[in-house]
Amino acid sequence: MLYREAGQYKTSYQADQAVFPLLQDRVGLLVILFVAYVVIPLTGNDFLINAVMTPFLIFSLAAIGLNLLTGYTGLLSLGSGAFMGVGAYACYKLTTYFPDVNIIIWIVASGFVAALVGAIFGLPSLRIKGFYLAIATLAAQFFLEWSFTRVAWLYNHNVSGAIEVPQRTLFGVPITGPNATAETRYLIVLTIVVGMTWVASNIVHGRIGRMWMAVRDMDIAAELMGIRLLPTKLLAFAVSSFYCGVAGAMMVFLWYGGAESTVFSINQSFTILFMIIIGGLGSLLGAYLGAALIFVLPIVLRFVPPKLGIPVHAATVEHITFMIVGALIIFFLIVEPHGLARLWQIGKQKLRVWPFPY
Amino acid sequence: MRAPAAGDQAAREILLSMENVSLSFGGVNAISDVSFDIRKGEICAIIGPNGAGKTSMLNVINGFYTPRQGRITFKGVARAKMRPYEAAERGIARTFQNVALFRGMSALDNIMAGRTLKMKRGLLWQMLRYGPAMAEEVEHRRVAEEIIDFLHIKDIRKVQVGRLPYGLQKRVELGRALAMEPELLLLDEPMAGMNLEEKEDMSRFVLDVNQHFGTTIALIEHDMGVVMDLSDRVVVLDHGVKIADGTPDEVKSDRNVIDAYLGVAH
Repeated sequence: MLYREAGQYKTSYQADQAVFPLLQDRVGLLVILFVAYVVIPLTGNDFLINAVMTPFLIFSLAAIGLNLLTGYTGLLSLGSGAFMGVGAYACYKLTTYFPDVNIIIWIVASGFVAALVGAIFGLPSLRIKGFYLAIATLAAQFFLEWSFTRVAWLYNHNVSGAIEVPQRTLFGVPITGPNATAETRYLIVLTIVVGMTWVASNIVHGRIGRMWMAVRDMDIAAELMGIRLLPTKLLAFAVSSFYCGVAGAMMVFLWYGGAESTVFSINQSFTILFMIIIGGLGSLLGAYLGAALIFVLPIVLRFVPPKLGIPVHAATVEHITFMIVGALIIFFLIVEPHGLARLWQIGKQKLRVWPFPY
Repeated sequence: MRAPAAGDQAAREILLSMENVSLSFGGVNAISDVSFDIRKGEICAIIGPNGAGKTSMLNVINGFYTPRQGRITFKGVARAKMRPYEAAERGIARTFQNVALFRGMSALDNIMAGRTLKMKRGLLWQMLRYGPAMAEEVEHRRVAEEIIDFLHIKDIRKVQVGRLPYGLQKRVELGRALAMEPELLLLDEPMAGMNLEEKEDMSRFVLDVNQHFGTTIALIEHDMGVVMDLSDRVVVLDHGVKIADGTPDEVKSDRNVIDAYLGVAH
């Protein structure tokens, strides 16, 4: 009734090729942006901003990165955690060598280092596919994680073996380090994530996105249509690793404030893979939904019952959280194997014809 | 029946020429010593019983298989080894026996994917999806819409192709091949598994493509009625050997062809 395309006529192909052809979608997007930019920084407390929203956005960005590779190009990767690490360590090295250059520039630039490393580890993808490629990317995961521990140059020979984030400012306002406020860091993360999501959406809706999906759906036919497989796959690896790298750099510089190599372990890779499987492969929205379900839901489950005055022991809550999240994942996979993004689409379709069934 | 005069045919320029092409897998000879030409603007049918090497022949033409020996000359340039994307760049498009569409994409996106080679804007413009990149997108959308119009698939352009019925999938696949604006179009059993009406539609499209766009077509088909009506020339393969080559009429009365199809009395 409210959500339908009736009366919205497209008079040009440009309008019809838009990412959000429907007015309602555009309004919804503006509302979300308004809430994210104005309502949350003004009304949210430190906990909401620092422990929920900032990491949620960072995980969403990493999930978008992996989704470009696995969901859009069909290449399964278990190295996303390591590529996040490449971004984090690259950013650390860059900002300690050149402390005067703005940290935001280095955060984005570290993505390029991750892209290069990702492209190198993507080389086997021409020959191997599916689970075997996943194992090949596992080599990247272990090798890089080993480097983060053993190559002392990467963490400037710190005795602790960890990287510590120095204070950096933007227009005199501290944005990294212990003195930066949660709001500032949140707004920077939000801006980077929004910008990169916009770019990702542009890429997947254009020629390159179609090439990726063509390779995913039928690589033989794609090649017979003039799509060169190796450059296309390597580009997917590079762009995907770029996103993961930026997410990793933000994770250390704008959230943790310091990290050891264990942050970028295989568990991180799996977490992100689960996010896109549950959120929806081949959907940018799915990356957000998956990150929300996997990362935010446990927090909600942990903190809402005490707020409601239900006295539960902390350890009990911890265990129950595991059980509920696990059950929900199974539930969603059975109800909709194509992820939450597909559920959302079905919901939209239903809304279109509501209140009638057809 | 559309059989041009024999003199007219000989005068036509040769687009693709296969000379003594052989292909084998291990010890099995899929194609042995086959030579034939495809001339510009004609519809050439490749027929033969099952396992005759027809699909292998198409795979050799568009570079998916490399022949063990022989020379293939396309547009006057001989090549020994060619990758499939090079064949595409030089103007060879094809459809598949089992539909090989990009199932997760809409019909429109499939056809737009066929325009990939014609689109030039690089990653930076694609990231912005603005200015030249958008202009290019719109320009190719217009071409895609012409093809959609031509194939009468307007109502399904935004439907994911995996959900379409078989006949329409075949049509979208033809559209995707046409989007490449090929000089040589290879159709691998375009009418397989279709009912009479769908076959008639598809035949009409094949003829229209040939006449409107001047595309040279090589097709494999088992329906002899279709083959005899559509094609200017028929090449018959049996067990990887060429046994006949000529106009539909000549081939129909050829002793070897009849033997291959009906068997020989011993």
